[in-house]
Amino acid sequence: MNRLVTVAEMTARELLRRRGVLLLLLLMPLTFWLIRRDAYVGQSVRSLLLGISWAVSTAALFATSAARELEPRLRLAGYRPHHLYLGRMLGLWAAGLAISVPFFLLTVLDAPELRHGGVAVAMLCCVGVAAPFGMLIGVLLPRELEGTLLLLTVVAVQMLIDPAGTGAKLTPFWSSREIATWAVDHTDDGYLTRGTLHGLVFTALLVATVAAVASVRLRRRRHLRHLPIG
Amino acid sequence: MNADEWLQTLAAELHQRRVAPDAARHVVVEAATHLREDGRDPWLVLGPPREYAAAIAESLGPAPRPRPGPVRLHAEGITKRYGRRTVLRDASLTVRAGQIAAVVGANGCGKSTFLRVCAGLVSPDAGEVTVTGRLGYCPQQGGTADFLLPDEHFVLVGAGRGVARGPARRAGRAAARRLGWEADGDVLARHLSGGTRQKLNLTMSTLSEPDVLLLDEPYQGFDQGTYVNFWEQLTRLRDEGKAIVVVTHLLNQLDRVDLVLDLTPATQGGRA
Repeated sequence: MNRLVTVAEMTARELLRRRGVLLLLLLMPLTFWLIRRDAYVGQSVRSLLLGISWAVSTAALFATSAARELEPRLRLAGYRPHHLYLGRMLGLWAAGLAISVPFFLLTVLDAPELRHGGVAVAMLCCVGVAAPFGMLIGVLLPRELEGTLLLLTVVAVQMLIDPAGTGAKLTPFWSSREIATWAVDHTDDGYLTRGTLHGLVFTALLVATVAAVASVRLRRRRHLRHLPIG
Repeated sequence: MNADEWLQTLAAELHQRRVAPDAARHVVVEAATHLREDGRDPWLVLGPPREYAAAIAESLGPAPRPRPGPVRLHAEGITKRYGRRTVLRDASLTVRAGQIAAVVGANGCGKSTFLRVCAGLVSPDAGEVTVTGRLGYCPQQGGTADFLLPDEHFVLVGAGRGVARGPARRAGRAAARRLGWEADGDVLARHLSGGTRQKLNLTMSTLSEPDVLLLDEPYQGFDQGTYVNFWEQLTRLRDEGKAIVVVTHLLNQLDRVDLVLDLTPATQGGRA
């Protein structure tokens, strides 16, 4: 448990010290919110959620890339793969939630007609999915530029795809859009249920995939035999 | 520096130069008596303690080294290919407790790859490695976190072995001090100079008290004093019974090691 908490803490510390990155992480969802604010508030909420998802995924991608050289030596220092990927994920989730709080307050103050419980759940889904999603791209693609471009493609698809189409449900952040519809348009509870379920399933699938990839990458190699002393 | 401080420094210097403990104690007692009788500044009477210790160590010679212990690292028949290029062919090395092995060879001959295979970070195409005890590894570069303080690195490494924060910090600072670096400042790793960052890298690898220590050219960026401290630290670790493998291209240090593995291909005159 101590190892998990230590990795989570160091991930959060690293992220919070990147002041420029942090500023951009906050600026991005804010821009997304403001750019559509003069029109229909639903567009602003959806853009804001997409901005949070993009920001947290990018932070996760960069944190994972930065830890690529460090993790093998931490493995030798006594950590097991799950301490490393789960600890990092916990740190990113905590940072993602911290980033989301001011934006949640913004919706409360600026758009009081919304169902704010739904906005909160949608933000939780965004953060829940975005951290393992960014980490997965980070572990699969060794270079940050490639990872960023892939992330950009996914978010662009998410933004442009017809949310009612079948394909949209395969995109990672569909859950937040569905819940946002419930929160903004006061639709029936089916939207909230479907969205929450989608968010949970996607988070679980992404966490499992990150676990599988990290466990393979940080595995004990077969050629190396460890014997105890004495 | 008063007489007591001078004598303490002398004792530390003699220890670092591996003068036998009994002989070192005798030298310190004699120097203390001499200084007391003379009454003047010890620097005027006997000079700098470092130089005095060096002269004593040279005249006495180092303490006899303990005999090498049991095998700690055994790498056999390591072959590694990247595509069609064979980087390592049938490389073998056995290192015992209390030995330093140097891995040498031309650029691109697979020194770092051999070490990474020994550390279990890369799978070979053939061959096996057996490590007895705990393993520590210092990469050639990277291996530190840009936005963490040195103390946080020590805490992170320490937690891997269940060491509490305070002791981990103290152990890290003490290990850094042996390399002539005071690691208690609030400077992020990314703001450290190349040499200091490498000291952090090296300190991290020794923190988990490994029985087998793998070092991949860890002295890049070191100044002369640190470089001397580095080899003295390796000697001390060897005398404590650690098995050490160090990748190096500095052949003038080979008289300090017990074994040499030359990975230069036979066609280039190697003797692997």
